[in-house]
Amino acid sequence: MKRKTNPESSASGAKKRRREEEDEEVGCSHAGIEDETISEDQCRLLQDDLTFSDTSVALRMMRAQLPRIDQASVPPFILQSQLYSSVNDRTQVDRELECLRREKVVRVFKLNTGQDDHAIIFLDDYLKQVDRIVKRMEEKKQNDLDIFKWFKEHVLDSKLEPSIGHHELFSLLSLGGKVKDAHITLLINAGLLTRQLVDPDMYWFTIPSIGKLWKGLLQGRNELLSMLKRKRHKEMFLAELEKKRLRYSPLDMRFHIRDLIGSGHLKTVQTTSGLIVRISRD
Amino acid sequence: MWEAIKHRETGQIRSNSFANRFKSRRILSLQLSNRKDFVSPHRGSVNSLQVDLTEGRYLLSGASDGSAAVFDVQRATEYEASGLIAKHKCIFTVDKQHENGHKYAITSAIWYPIDTGLFVTGSYDHYVKVWDTNTSQAVVDFKMPGKVYRTAMSSLAMSHTLIAAGTEDVQVRLCDIASGAFSHTLSGHRDGVMSVEWSTSSEWILYTGGCDGAIRFWDIRRAGCFRVLDQSLTQLGVRPPILKQKAVSIKNFLVQVSAAKSSLGGQNRLKTLQSKNTGSQIVKGSSSAKASVEKSRQKRLHPGMLSTLDRATAHYGVVTGLKATNNGMYLLSAGSDSRIRLWDIESGRNTLLNFETGRIQTNKAIQLDTSDDPALVFVPCMKTVKACDMWSGRATLMLRGHFESVNSCCFNSSDQELYTSGADRQILVWSPGGSVEGEMMQDEVAEDKDNWSD
Repeated sequence: MKRKTNPESSASGAKKRRREEEDEEVGCSHAGIEDETISEDQCRLLQDDLTFSDTSVALRMMRAQLPRIDQASVPPFILQSQLYSSVNDRTQVDRELECLRREKVVRVFKLNTGQDDHAIIFLDDYLKQVDRIVKRMEEKKQNDLDIFKWFKEHVLDSKLEPSIGHHELFSLLSLGGKVKDAHITLLINAGLLTRQLVDPDMYWFTIPSIGKLWKGLLQGRNELLSMLKRKRHKEMFLAELEKKRLRYSPLDMRFHIRDLIGSGHLKTVQTTSGLIVRISRD
Repeated sequence: MWEAIKHRETGQIRSNSFANRFKSRRILSLQLSNRKDFVSPHRGSVNSLQVDLTEGRYLLSGASDGSAAVFDVQRATEYEASGLIAKHKCIFTVDKQHENGHKYAITSAIWYPIDTGLFVTGSYDHYVKVWDTNTSQAVVDFKMPGKVYRTAMSSLAMSHTLIAAGTEDVQVRLCDIASGAFSHTLSGHRDGVMSVEWSTSSEWILYTGGCDGAIRFWDIRRAGCFRVLDQSLTQLGVRPPILKQKAVSIKNFLVQVSAAKSSLGGQNRLKTLQSKNTGSQIVKGSSSAKASVEKSRQKRLHPGMLSTLDRATAHYGVVTGLKATNNGMYLLSAGSDSRIRLWDIESGRNTLLNFETGRIQTNKAIQLDTSDDPALVFVPCMKTVKACDMWSGRATLMLRGHFESVNSCCFNSSDQELYTSGADRQILVWSPGGSVEGEMMQDEVAEDKDNWSD
C-alpha cells in the first residue's frame, strides 16, 4: 500500500509531505475501517477525480494533500465545504462527521468568516500543536503553564462543541486547580480561545496562528471567483484552472476549488474534453 | 393508468396508495403553469401567502405596500386566449386607502382557522388587525410594542382563539380575539422573534424562532419554555443513549444556576416579567436535576424562568422560517446561516439532515411549505424555489420563474399546486405538467406503435 500511495504523491504536483504523515496515514488505514481496503484500490483512480465514497477516506486524502507551509505552525485543516464537494451525500457527511467528533478522532472549529465555515482537524494534530505552543511559551520563561495541561485534560476532553460558555470553562478548568482570569488571558494570547462580537459570554475554540491562512482563504476565494467571472462564459477547464497560481493566498488552488464547489458557488460539468468549472447561477 | 384502475378494482392496490401514486407523480412534475395566472394587485413585494384551511379555495396574500388581497383559486374571473388561460383577479383587497388599513408593510396575513369569515394581518406599523371578510372591515386591533414579523393561529384549537404574534420585541404576545386583550406574554428570547408556528399535534404548544438564533418550545398552559433547541445536540442513530446525555445536562444545569447566582443579582427584569405571567405556575414533570438545583440556589428564580439562562442556539444567525410537518413529529427551521435543519420534536434533537439549498435570503422571514407524499420541502432560495426530499436532503425540483427573490411558498395539497410569491410583486402558480388526457393516453400510445398503415 505504501508503494501505491508514493507515486501518486509525487505525481500530484510536488507537494511536500512529511514522513510521519505518510506513515500515519498508512497506519490509520490499516486500523480496520472495512471500506478503506476497497476504496484504497479506487483511490489510485480517484486521485484526480473529485469524489470519495467515505467521509474518513476523504478526510485523510485531503489532509495528505495539504501542502506544508514553511512556518509549520498550523496543523493541517480541512474545511467542511471541501468535504461536501468530495462526498456525494451531504447528510452522510454530516452524520459521519458527528460520529467522528464523538469518538474524538477529529475536532471541529468554527471560523470567523461571516459564512458558515467550519474547519476540521484531527485531534492528534491539534494536541501536538498545543504542545508546541506550551514549549514555545516555556522558552519565553512564561509562568503558570499548568493551565494548558488542565485545558487539555479537562476542557478538550469533555467539551466537543466549537464553543464554550464562560462559566462552564471556569468550572472545567477548576477541576485541575485554582483558576484566575489571568489564566484565561494566557489561553487567549496563545491563540487557543477567542471571543466573537455576537455573544460576549461565549468563547470559541480556534486554531492557533490561523490568521494568515484565514486572510488568504477569504482573499483567495474572491480572487478565484473574479477570475472566473471575467471570462466570457464564466467557466474554465478544471485542468487549466489547477495550473494557475493565486496571488493573494498561500493556500493551494485545489483547496479553494473544492471549498467553492462545496459551498455552492461553483459547479463542475462533465464534458467530452474533461471537467469544466462554472460559476453557478442561483 | 387503466392497469392501475383495474388493480384497484380487484384489490391489488389499496385505494390510498392508488390516490397517492397519482398525487406524487403530479407533484414531481410541477412546472410553471401555462393555464392559470393570478393578477396581482400588489405594488410591493408579496410577503405572505396562505390558502384557507377549511376548503382550500381562497388564497390570502399580504404585501409590502400595506395591501392584503384574497383570490379564488378554483374559479377564474375571466378567461383569455379563447378559454385556455384562466386569469384569477383578486376578489377584494384592503390597502392603505382603506380607512382602517395598515400604514406600512404587511408581513403576515393568515386565515382564521375555523372558517374564512375572518382573517388576521400583522404589519410593520405595530398593529395586528382582525378583518371581517364579508364586509372588509377591521374588527379588532391589537397594538404591539414593535414591528410585527409573524402571526400564527393554531389550526387544531378547540378551546382557544389565540393569535401568536412575533415582533421585534423580545416577548411573544398571545392575543385573544374573543376578549380583545392580550392573554399571554412569553419571555425567554434575547432578541426579536421572527417566526412563530403552532404545533400540529397539540393546540397548546407553540414554537418560536428568534433573531438570536434560538428556537423555543412553549406550552402556553405553563410558564416559560420547556425546551430550547440546540444544534449541537444531535440524534445519533434513532435515539441517543439516554444516560450519557443526562449526565451532561445535569452538569450544564448546575453550572448555569451558579451563573444565575453571580451574574443576575442586579437584574430586576425577571421579576417584572414574572408578574406579567398569568395562570398558575406549577412546573409539571420537572426532572430530578431541576429539583436538586432548586434547593441549592440562593437567588429565587421562578421555575419557569430557568430557561432564560439557556443560551443554546439552533442556528448561527436569525431563524427566518419555521414549519412543522403535518404528522406533528418533525420541525423544519430555516436560518440566516443558509441552513435548513430538521428537528425531531419528541427528543428536541438535530437530525443532521443537510438540505442542498445554496444561499437563502437572510434579512427577511421566509415561508417554507411541505408536502406529505412524496415528502418534499419547498424552500425559497433567492430567485428559485427548490423542492428538496425531506429524508435525504437532495434537491429534486428547481423551480425558476421569479425575477426577484422569493419570499413565500404555499402548497395546495388538494390540487397539487404550489403558489409562490416574491419581491417581484408576482404570485406564480406551479402546477403539474401534462394534461389529464395525456396521463390517460400514456399506456395506449405505447401499444399502438405498430398499428400504422399508409
